[in-house]
Amino acid sequence: MKQIDILIIDDEIKFADMLSRRLSLRAITCRACYDGQSGIQWVKKNPGAAALILLDLKLPDMYGTQVLAHIKQIDPGIPVFIITGHGTREDEKECLALGAVEFIHKPVSIEKITTLLNHARGEVQ
Amino acid sequence: MIGKPQILHKQEWLAFLFHRHDAHLASFHTFSNYRSIWIISIIILAVTSLSPLVMATLINQRLIRQSVDAELVLQTERVTSNAKRSVRFFLEERLNALRFIVNELPYYALIDNEHLAEILSNLKLGFGGFTDLSIIDADGSQVAYAGPFNLEGKNYKTQPWFTKSLQRDNFISEVFTGYRDVPHIIIAVRSMNALGRLFILRATLDTQRLMDTLLSYKTNVHTDIFLMNHTGLLQTPSKNYGKIFTPTRLDVPEFSTTTNVIMPENKSDHAFITGYSYIITEAVTTPFILLVNKEKSVVMGTWLNLGKTFNWIIGISCLVMMIIITLVSTFMVNKLYLADKTKAETMLRMEQSQQLACIGQLSAGIAHEINNPLALINETAGYLKDLYHFTEEEQNDEEVMENLDAILEAVSRCGTITSQLLGFVRQFDVQISRVDVEKLITGILRFHKKETEYKGIHVTTAISPDTPAIETDRGKLQQILLNLINNAFQAIEANGCLDITVSHLRPDNITIEIKDTGCGIPAENLKRIHEPFFSTKKEKMGTGLGLSITYGLVKKLQGNIRVESSEGVGTIFFVTLPVKMQKEESA
Repeated sequence: MKQIDILIIDDEIKFADMLSRRLSLRAITCRACYDGQSGIQWVKKNPGAAALILLDLKLPDMYGTQVLAHIKQIDPGIPVFIITGHGTREDEKECLALGAVEFIHKPVSIEKITTLLNHARGEVQ
Repeated sequence: MIGKPQILHKQEWLAFLFHRHDAHLASFHTFSNYRSIWIISIIILAVTSLSPLVMATLINQRLIRQSVDAELVLQTERVTSNAKRSVRFFLEERLNALRFIVNELPYYALIDNEHLAEILSNLKLGFGGFTDLSIIDADGSQVAYAGPFNLEGKNYKTQPWFTKSLQRDNFISEVFTGYRDVPHIIIAVRSMNALGRLFILRATLDTQRLMDTLLSYKTNVHTDIFLMNHTGLLQTPSKNYGKIFTPTRLDVPEFSTTTNVIMPENKSDHAFITGYSYIITEAVTTPFILLVNKEKSVVMGTWLNLGKTFNWIIGISCLVMMIIITLVSTFMVNKLYLADKTKAETMLRMEQSQQLACIGQLSAGIAHEINNPLALINETAGYLKDLYHFTEEEQNDEEVMENLDAILEAVSRCGTITSQLLGFVRQFDVQISRVDVEKLITGILRFHKKETEYKGIHVTTAISPDTPAIETDRGKLQQILLNLINNAFQAIEANGCLDITVSHLRPDNITIEIKDTGCGIPAENLKRIHEPFFSTKKEKMGTGLGLSITYGLVKKLQGNIRVESSEGVGTIFFVTLPVKMQKEESA
């Protein structure tokens, strides 16, 4: 089982790719899934493999909160950050209730993500 | 919407008279011209309340005048009628006495001077008023005479009274002077002696007795009672027309056998009311007309004075009523105006908050849609920058780096805008908790500490010791204060002042005053500062959403915000918040 740093679940392929590339440049390993199902499957196959998950809310096959619920079922300890362009207060509440660490609005700076990762790693350690 | 509460506090008396609709309020006002409403209401009230009064007064006066006139006519008629009866009786009595003499005594007894003198003295005793007696035969020569004047042997053939008295049984002359130069009246009876010759028994009456009779009917000095002949010549002295024999120049009234009263044509109170009556005895028509003149004004004096007093009372009451009507109308119209104004302002506020809500929804929608491409731009530009950075290629190409930085900065600004726009939607959600305002303010100020020191801004906080911890939404209050304090800091030049005051004047709310000595807000901008995207801040400084969000937040916390500002002096924001926020049903 391959250890990675960040799992990105986002249907915006270009965004996810670009973010992955930028993180790679910073020696952060990434894995991008473009819909909810594949994200859940990946987590199922690789439990505990990702240091943190960046999850979009608006996905083609299911809503982000559902994905979050599934992931939390599989691996309750994994820190999930919601990164979305949409998202109402209700979504935010729901996500936080479901165990998301933070609700972040797009666009988000690369520094913010690296900081988050550092925190997650710190906590893991 | 700014500054409105201020205006409402100032409930100026007569505000409506000087009102000018604010252009933005005009469409919400129910009425446009309060001055004309005011005038119309005064007119309607005055007409409805005063006209019955005025009408009643006029009718009353007319009735009084009519009844006074009627009373006057009656009075005059009575006096005239009584006086007429007396005069008639006076003359008739004496005429009958003469008739009795000629019928009773034989002719020879009559022509005996001594006997005649005896008869005269008896007449004087019995009736009075007789001056002399004489017997005149049909030729006009005086046959016998008894009296104070030496008229024996006189011939009266040419005298008009003689001719007239010879033609009828009884005769009464006008007052005249004749041979003796003393006003007198002749009464004469015609008879026939034993020889079948006509003769006349003539008596002279002094007028004094007649005048006395008349004067006894003079009830007061304003009544003029006199006799005149059929040509208008005075037969007794008159108060108004002068001495005896003076022509009165009065129109001789139409002949009538009854007593009549003439009301003057002109309504002036100095006119005379005239009662007249022709003196007609059973035996003969006398040449006299009895006239009674009464001056209206004197007789009606009491009534007229009463009328005047009444008019004064009515006049003063009308004036008082007008004053009351004016005051009431003014008060009511002013109230109406103020109520309408409040309504207009409320409607404007409602419309504005609806607009805000609409804008909020719209902007949230836009923000959502923009965020994703924005994120992509951000990552792409970041990636390009990363490429240069990590591959150490063309690292020194400053132009490329600058442009990439510009893109990233623009993206970050857009991000700020979209997150603020989302804040619009967020502000509809409230979580109530107990908040210590002092701590909150201290916290925010600590956040600005560096800026304060750097700019040399003098910050003072004065928090009333009795300020309670309030129950409100901490996050929103924090954002409100942060926004306002941020604004203040941006407005304040170096060495300016920022005063934050918290007061607890009313038990159910607290007021936070944020006062800066900054550039101030021009009056024309004051109305617009809460409009979304309205900003006077130079490039990059602001999104124009701060105050409009603040406004929405304060409303959400069931509070009020109001601003006072003068350009160049500074600005004060007053935020009033309830001590205990009520939970909304819909929240």
